[in-house]
Amino acid sequence: MTTVIQASGLVKQFGRTRALDGLDLSVSEGEVHGFLGPNGAGKSTTIRVLLGMLRGNGGSASVFGRDPWRDAVGIHRDVAYVPGDVSLWPNLSGGETIDYLTRLRGGADPTLRARLLKDFELDPKKRGRSYSKGNRQKVALVAAFARRAKLYVLDEPTSGLDPVMESVFRREIERVQGEGATVLLSSHILSEVEQLCDRVTIVRAGKAVETGALDELRHLTRTSFRVTTPATIAQVGKLAGVHDARVEADHLVFDVDTDAIDGVLSTLTKAGVSSLTVTPPSLEELFLRHYGDRIETEPAA
Amino acid sequence: MSVVRILLQQIRRDRVTLPIWILGTVALLAVAAASVGQEYGDVAGRSGILRVALATPALLALRGIPNGDSLGSAVHFQSFAFLAVTIGLMNIFLATRHGRADEEQGRRELVLAAPVSRLAPPIATLLLGVVANGLFVVLAIGGYASAKVPVSGAVVSAVALGLIGLAFLGLGMLAGELTQTSRGANTIGVILVLGAYALRAAGDALGRADVTKITLEPAWPSWVSPIGWGQQTLAFTDNRWWPIALIAALAVVSIGAALLVHSRRELGESLLAERSGRATARATLASPAGLAWRLQWPALIAWAGGSALLGLVLGSLVTAVSNANIDNAQIQAILQSLGHTGASDMGRTLISAVMVLIGAVAAAAGVQAVLRMREEETEGRLEPVLASPQSRVSWLLSYVLIAAVCVLVVLVATGVAAAIGFAAVGQSDNAWLSLGSALVQAPAALSFVGVTALLVGLLPRIAVSLGWAVFGILIGFGLFGGLLNLPDGVDKISPIANVPALPTDDWGPTILLAVIALVAAAAGAVALRRRDLSA
Repeated sequence: MTTVIQASGLVKQFGRTRALDGLDLSVSEGEVHGFLGPNGAGKSTTIRVLLGMLRGNGGSASVFGRDPWRDAVGIHRDVAYVPGDVSLWPNLSGGETIDYLTRLRGGADPTLRARLLKDFELDPKKRGRSYSKGNRQKVALVAAFARRAKLYVLDEPTSGLDPVMESVFRREIERVQGEGATVLLSSHILSEVEQLCDRVTIVRAGKAVETGALDELRHLTRTSFRVTTPATIAQVGKLAGVHDARVEADHLVFDVDTDAIDGVLSTLTKAGVSSLTVTPPSLEELFLRHYGDRIETEPAA
Repeated sequence: MSVVRILLQQIRRDRVTLPIWILGTVALLAVAAASVGQEYGDVAGRSGILRVALATPALLALRGIPNGDSLGSAVHFQSFAFLAVTIGLMNIFLATRHGRADEEQGRRELVLAAPVSRLAPPIATLLLGVVANGLFVVLAIGGYASAKVPVSGAVVSAVALGLIGLAFLGLGMLAGELTQTSRGANTIGVILVLGAYALRAAGDALGRADVTKITLEPAWPSWVSPIGWGQQTLAFTDNRWWPIALIAALAVVSIGAALLVHSRRELGESLLAERSGRATARATLASPAGLAWRLQWPALIAWAGGSALLGLVLGSLVTAVSNANIDNAQIQAILQSLGHTGASDMGRTLISAVMVLIGAVAAAAGVQAVLRMREEETEGRLEPVLASPQSRVSWLLSYVLIAAVCVLVVLVATGVAAAIGFAAVGQSDNAWLSLGSALVQAPAALSFVGVTALLVGLLPRIAVSLGWAVFGILIGFGLFGGLLNLPDGVDKISPIANVPALPTDDWGPTILLAVIALVAAAAGAVALRRRDLSA
């Protein structure tokens, strides 16, 4: 399979802050790649280097096998981009902005444009200044999806969308993936990446700390159980996929690997359950558990 | 009680802005008073210059109506219309800042969620306006007093100005009720102020002059302008109070109407619905140059329209100056220095001097257009544009191109307007001279565009402040350097000091300026290519 994005040992320094500290990233053709990390981990900086907005201080990066700094224009012929913080021209209507941005890439597909406006429920006649954050994001999404590209670079594209619009967004990702396009999707929401992505790279403090297919990363996504049950800690603790079992007051507390949930649940029901709390793992817990570090101390990019 | 709290908060927000407006306007008055006292200290000199003014519609349009030849009258004639515009603008912006802008930004919603009546914020703004304009009236009386003119006249003139301010406060509040955006409210307000000035300009220019009594009966347009009413006080001569009652009535009606509408309308709504935009873009909005044009043309119309108006009255000015036979050596030297010429013909000298000024205006229009690039970059709108197959070099050069178009449009519009003005009075020589003198400013003005583009490429973070600072200093040197007896090389630092007066055989500096403009713009493009985008 062809590699579309390749970065190795990427370094970007802003004054004394090291925003990227030897970051590795590899995205193959046709995959939806999740780029996961807390705010300030270096996701947007990486994307800006890959688009040739910033110039790396060390390491190497290539997109479609070309140098993003020297051959930005050539690369961008096949790229659609949604920035993390969408800012529109205050006196241009949403429709004008969509047309302008797509025309720079060769012009929108009119049927696609019309359908996207309808699906995202976006009024194209409103002026940029009067859109809410979510609607500004929709303008950028319609501009990105209204002309087909080989690579979609989306920086936290759903941060202002409501759940209904998130599902519209997911349909578009599935469409472009079906058309053979590659997607780099940055996010700080684990569940979103789980739903959409084939492979994931997790970054923190400017470095990639995990990368691989989601199945390979299943060990990262454990669900916490807090149960009141006659079953003993020994019974539950020996089940496959159960970790860190302990007793807290009247409760039995333990973590379960995602693919082992079914087995654990049936064992519990057989024994009888009088109360049950199940918590999906948050990204923060994941970082705390795996990298033993407090996220608040991250350097801001 | 909440009104007082809101008022105190508004005062705190305006603690820098309002004093600058008020003190600046008073300083304008004091300077005008001092200079009139110095230059035309004696009655003979004053009545001479006022009679010239009465015979010159362009001067009447610019200044207003003379009434008598006392020192106070002369100061009033010299400054009243300008002060009225300044104080009017101060009140328009004040009304919008605490009115529609708060509502648009969502700050008003926070305040109204507290136990505060819907009318409390506008009433607080009204009180703030009363305080600000009252303070101005007191200080303006002091400003007049500095010129040792009668207090009775000073009070009439200052009270008229303060009430004109309150009238525009009401009109500004009303404008905020009409439109949904603070930008729209300010635009309507500024048009009202400039419209009031323009109406009385037309009325005064078309009025019937009485040269023996040194006074003027303006035509009807002056009577529909609050600034025109203010002039009718004939301060320092007749000191009439009834025109002041007229202004006060306008203030009461406009403020009352604004409060009435405000008490009946919902938060965030407006009397005029916001015009919705186009669902699709015009075909021209397909490149950075198309966007730059789309963003810049409204400003360009203002730049070109304003300077073309000055061009149009140039003919009338030159005629008046030639007829007045001014043999004041000092004035002649100033004009020759401004026009970069030693010509003894005052008319031709004046054309050169005014066109150098227009060159500076054109340069300002160009600098503003170029600096839009930084706005695009800092606001984050450049990123999605450069993420398309669009090179940085062509992006920068697109904005430079539009800036150059702005420069040329200002110059051509002014040159053509001046030529029409001269052709109308049968001076075809001067028509051609003014068109040529306008166009010859282009390389100097374009060199500012080029240098500013270089700053955007090379020193992005300080490009805006440095760009305007360089502009201000070089224009200042160029306009007044010749009067300061600077050493030879230094006074030629400014591009506009190197613009030749026509006719000329020495095209070297002009060509050099054109080359500088091109090289600087190209260097700016290269510099942008080599740096990170930055906020």
